[in-house]
Amino acid sequence: MIGELVWRNTLHRPLRTLVSIVAVGVEVSLILLIVGLTHGMLREVAKRIEGVGADIMVQPPSASMFLAFSGAPMPVSIGARIADLPHVKAVAPVLVQLSSSGGLDVVYGIDPSSFDAVSNGFVYLQGHRLESPDDVLVDDWYARARNLKAGDTLHLLGHNFHVAGVVEHGKGARVFVQLKTLAQLTGSPDKAALFYVKCDVPGQTALVSKEIGQLLPRYQIRPIREFLSLMTATNVPGLNTFVRSMIALAAAIGFLVIFLSMYTTIIERTRDIGILKSLGASKAYIVRALLGETALVCAAGIVTGILMSYGASLLMRELFPTLTILITPGWILRAMGLAIGAGLAGATYPAWLASRKDPVEALAYE
Amino acid sequence: MNREAWSAVAETAKIAVEDPRSLVPGAPDLEPIVKTEDLWKVYRSGALDVPALRGVAMEVLPGEFVAIMGPSGCGKSTLLHVIGGLAQATRGRVLLDGNDLSEMTDAGRTKLRRHKVGFVFQRFNLLPTLDARGNIAIAQHIHGDGFDPHRFDVVTHMLGLAGRLRHRPAELSGGEQQRVAIARAIINEPKILLADEPTGNLDTKNSESVLHMLRQLNQQLGQTTILITHNPEAAAFAHRVLHMRDGQIVDSIPAD
Ligand SMILES: Nc1ncnc2c1ncn2[C@@H]1O[C@H](COP(=O)(O)OP(=O)(O)O)[C@@H](O)[C@H]1O
Ligand SMILES: [Mg+2]
Repeated sequence: MIGELVWRNTLHRPLRTLVSIVAVGVEVSLILLIVGLTHGMLREVAKRIEGVGADIMVQPPSASMFLAFSGAPMPVSIGARIADLPHVKAVAPVLVQLSSSGGLDVVYGIDPSSFDAVSNGFVYLQGHRLESPDDVLVDDWYARARNLKAGDTLHLLGHNFHVAGVVEHGKGARVFVQLKTLAQLTGSPDKAALFYVKCDVPGQTALVSKEIGQLLPRYQIRPIREFLSLMTATNVPGLNTFVRSMIALAAAIGFLVIFLSMYTTIIERTRDIGILKSLGASKAYIVRALLGETALVCAAGIVTGILMSYGASLLMRELFPTLTILITPGWILRAMGLAIGAGLAGATYPAWLASRKDPVEALAYE
Repeated sequence: MNREAWSAVAETAKIAVEDPRSLVPGAPDLEPIVKTEDLWKVYRSGALDVPALRGVAMEVLPGEFVAIMGPSGCGKSTLLHVIGGLAQATRGRVLLDGNDLSEMTDAGRTKLRRHKVGFVFQRFNLLPTLDARGNIAIAQHIHGDGFDPHRFDVVTHMLGLAGRLRHRPAELSGGEQQRVAIARAIINEPKILLADEPTGNLDTKNSESVLHMLRQLNQQLGQTTILITHNPEAAAFAHRVLHMRDGQIVDSIPAD
């Protein structure tokens, strides 16, 4: 019965209900998209790192987990010392640079032969390998997004590169240039941000990691598998703060809209509240009716929000093919919880006010 | 009953001016269901004290149908609100079925109201978003015993609402709305029905039908009723009429 009252009241002011539902929907989709984008991006990076095919990654002592922000403080010559260790098949120094021309992209500076040795080489869809200092390789996604083909010119990091080839995606970055060229452009000659290490026998990863650790104390030596499990939004410090702020903002939107909508609702329905009280409805009954209404609006908003998120992620995939939005069941549940929590919190004060109304005054309300 | 029998009842009623007990057939020793003692209600508006009730003492016996008449502003509604536990008295006592309202908390009075009181108002006060059925059923729901289809059918048939249950208040005539309100008020078999000018917004025909129903409920179900009215013809439906003036009961005479 209270259900029917809740249902009818929700339908009573369709526009207000609709606005509340859309607000909760925006809240939910904001959370899902921000988290989904972050996770998608990280997973993308992780997958590409995995795709390189190395067993171990070596980074300087203070390096960030999130590759794109790493500096370049290691001398390339360290690579030769690692290569001399037993069971090491190949070592590839990589310089990492973030390019912001038309979107954020990670650019790898590589030494073609060592990178090929670690990764078993690129699959070339067009053109050929890096030869001249001005050559650049792009992956198929990047080429599609920018409409590039072999032989085109690509302006990158303030330099005009010649697109030598288009390669299959999945090997660390989407854009590759010569290590020496990138070192010159970024003013870090003979430096590498990380080394990819390949072992001669797959089972030797732990042993080789230990050896490198003895050779380079304080350096970050991570088996690639471990690295992948660490690549989550909550492990990346700056990203973590950003994601949390956006979630808080989304919850605040839900809270405020529900608060305002319920506040006007209880004023408008003052007489109805007086009627319920004259029938002997307890404070708890009135609070339950109003929170029930909120829960209904939140539920509809959550469904809307999930649909909006999937819609937006499909649209984004069309517009920005290199972006991945990862909407996971776990985060759908969390977004639901947040939306319901923020909604009920927003409705609590109005519901409490309603339950305390004086019945005689409420019945006299025009 | 034939004509003689009716006039005999009327005679008895006229004789029994002093003791309302004699009006309830076969129950001379009943405890009053409502009893007020030196009941005061003072409204404070700004620096001014407005006494709406000034020492009301009255009794209503189970099964009685009592009308309260008096000029506008004399405190009739206030008295009904205090008796029904919607408002609290400033001083004095209200005993409702043996419970002293003045000593109860707000939650206690709410519970008492839920179980023992039915209100009918001049302006119907139906919930606009629910249909007639919903308006009646919600009283059962609040009461807590759930929906009782048998009681529901008896009451709605008695009030001639069977065909109108799917309509919302805005789609019902005033008379129909008030009948829905009466059904809602009595659906939980309250000890007492409090009606505050229930015909005040109705035309003559609907007024009469509402009053007939109140009397029928009183006679057939033994529903104790207090009816506030401006209208002497309405008061004539009651066993007894109380006159109020300036927050006090000035006399108590049986209706003729
Ligand atoms: N909430 C209130 N605040 C101040 N005065 C009130 C309030 N309610 C009623 N009164 C006053 O109390 C008196 C009795 O009112 P009421 O019980 O409504 O009279 P009636 O129902 O007989 O017309 C009136 O003088 C009225 O102005
Ligand atoms: Mg009145």
